[in-house]
Amino acid sequence: MNAPTSSRSWTPSPDFVRAVLKGHSGLGLAFAAAIYLVCLTGTLAVFANEFHRWENPGAPRMASVSDAAVQTAYQAAMRQAGDGVEHVYITIPSPQLPWLMVTADKGGELSAFLATENGELAGPAADSWTEFLTRLHVNLHLPRTIGLFIVGLTGVALLSSLISGILAHPRIFRDAFHLRLGGSRRLQEADLHNRIGVWALPFHVIVSLTGALLGLQLLIVGVLGLALFKGDTDKVYDLFLPPHPVDDARPAPALDLGPMFAQIRSKVPDGRVSYVFIEHPTEMGGAALFNVDARPDRLSAVDAYTFDRTGKLYYAKTVDDTNLGERILGALGPLHFGTFGGGLLKIVYGILGLGLSYLAVGGVLIWLARRRDKGRPAPGWEKVWTAVTWGQPLALAAAALAAVVAPAVTVSVLIGIWGGLTIATVAGARAFDRLTLSRLGRGLTGGLLVLTAILHIALHGSGDPMALVVNAVLLATGLGLVAPVWKGMRQPA
Amino acid sequence: MSDTAFPGWLLLILAGGLTGAWMLRRSWNLRQGSTGWRLGGWALLTATLVWPAFILGPAKGPFLALALIPVAALALVAASHELRAAKSPKAARESLAPEPADRPTTRWRTTLRWLLAGPIGMVAAMGVGICYAVWVPGEAQTRLLIGGLIVPVVWGACMAWTLADSRIVRATAVLLGTALVGFGLSILKGFA
Repeated sequence: MNAPTSSRSWTPSPDFVRAVLKGHSGLGLAFAAAIYLVCLTGTLAVFANEFHRWENPGAPRMASVSDAAVQTAYQAAMRQAGDGVEHVYITIPSPQLPWLMVTADKGGELSAFLATENGELAGPAADSWTEFLTRLHVNLHLPRTIGLFIVGLTGVALLSSLISGILAHPRIFRDAFHLRLGGSRRLQEADLHNRIGVWALPFHVIVSLTGALLGLQLLIVGVLGLALFKGDTDKVYDLFLPPHPVDDARPAPALDLGPMFAQIRSKVPDGRVSYVFIEHPTEMGGAALFNVDARPDRLSAVDAYTFDRTGKLYYAKTVDDTNLGERILGALGPLHFGTFGGGLLKIVYGILGLGLSYLAVGGVLIWLARRRDKGRPAPGWEKVWTAVTWGQPLALAAAALAAVVAPAVTVSVLIGIWGGLTIATVAGARAFDRLTLSRLGRGLTGGLLVLTAILHIALHGSGDPMALVVNAVLLATGLGLVAPVWKGMRQPA
Repeated sequence: MSDTAFPGWLLLILAGGLTGAWMLRRSWNLRQGSTGWRLGGWALLTATLVWPAFILGPAKGPFLALALIPVAALALVAASHELRAAKSPKAARESLAPEPADRPTTRWRTTLRWLLAGPIGMVAAMGVGICYAVWVPGEAQTRLLIGGLIVPVVWGACMAWTLADSRIVRATAVLLGTALVGFGLSILKGFA
């Protein structure tokens, strides 16, 4: 590769541009489907809380809850789950998730319960669709180590594509306002690809970098442990996590949260307890970790307090006590999922996430259009890529519909529906021409979204306004996808 | 910062982003006398990135702006799109972007190139990240986190470079050397 040379220092040589473009194209093609899937599911996962509320429209909603009600609910959930509960996770009502929810973990099997304002259990919480969606984004439903690595690798490939994309397009900033639609297909796709790529570059870098680090965390920690701590990865985690309670497996009554709540109220009178994690609740070595939202002006806004069974505070870390590394760690999740700026920021993340997904789709479309322009069309790959592009929304919509029709459906069934449709759309691509495939994909996805919204309203009612909002978005998106297909079918050929 | 004022601040960021992008677009459209609009546009976008730090939080404010400004700018670009008549692929061949290099290759070179972009690049990036964590002064958590962030950035840069560079032996030597030096220096000092 020749070094950038030109009369102007900012203009790289044509050979340099062509070489980088070659790498950009190769990397993009190799990872396009993975980037598209991870970005599309990530875009939807930004709205995980909203989907969770949509799955439970009848859940008792509340702005706040008393400490006594939390204790009552947690003990009731323990009784309901039976002996052998190892961990309990308590979600305290917040504006995003206005519920009291208790999740009991028994040997890795999770049971989530919703509770009323008084702490009485209102029933199990449905979460199969939300769980399916978020796990698909986080580890593709593969074994955790492998899945996380593949998603992290996809993040690195995206980051690399951003670097090579900027280097390969010397006019990308000069052409920043060109958006020429409707003329040459290749020019249109290139304009869309480059405009989305350059204007949303900060967002793309933030989500790909945070996503890559979150995905590669196990590998990085493993190598750090190997190289620096003689293979003891716990020493790396110990630097960031609260210490574990002293191990004492002797049986004990369910841990009492009351005295701990009282201490937190006196320490952080303006703070809001957002989450409680109880470790070994019925053992003498039990402990409880409280997350307190104390600094709304911070990306990493949570204070952590950990108590042992007797109510003795043995670990406290406030936001003001954290160093830069701990603040970066706390900011990774909010920056990646857009949870630090309320509903408007989530919508912005949704729009930019769709744009990022389209970068992957458009990159392949440019490659296909280039081949066609050069007289070497690849009709087989055009069909496969159309099937991938529209097969994923279709498969995700089908999984959502199944979760609406049968709220007790397991995540495994949803994986089967999504996986089956993914394989079927790609395998069946050769049976149709590209235009028909595109119309089928749009029409079926739109139809399923409309059906999902209608059935949700019919079967589950609309107790939660958020369910209404989600259904309205599904309806509008569904109709938006179906309408042009319907119009196209009615026009004479 | 009160909860009720928060959406108002976000709308103000959007307005700043939209106005800044509009000024840049005006400069882009003008053949003469564009400097004022260009400087004004960049000044407004910079101000929109900076003022939220004082009101919405030192890190939270700018990161909010980094998400909101692009949406405002993209809305402007979309609103001012140019609609063209459809062209046949043959007619569209003129004035297109540069083509990717068409370099001769062999199977082993292709395999080596992807090995460099993948596992070898990853090991080199790990070496750099760990070396940073070991040698740069500061709190242990900060060094480890920044070292961790360096890994995907360096790996991504390695991918971009090795997939573009036709001198594959040079790339191999640099990446292997980086990995050896990075891990060697790290083990030499150890983490303290």
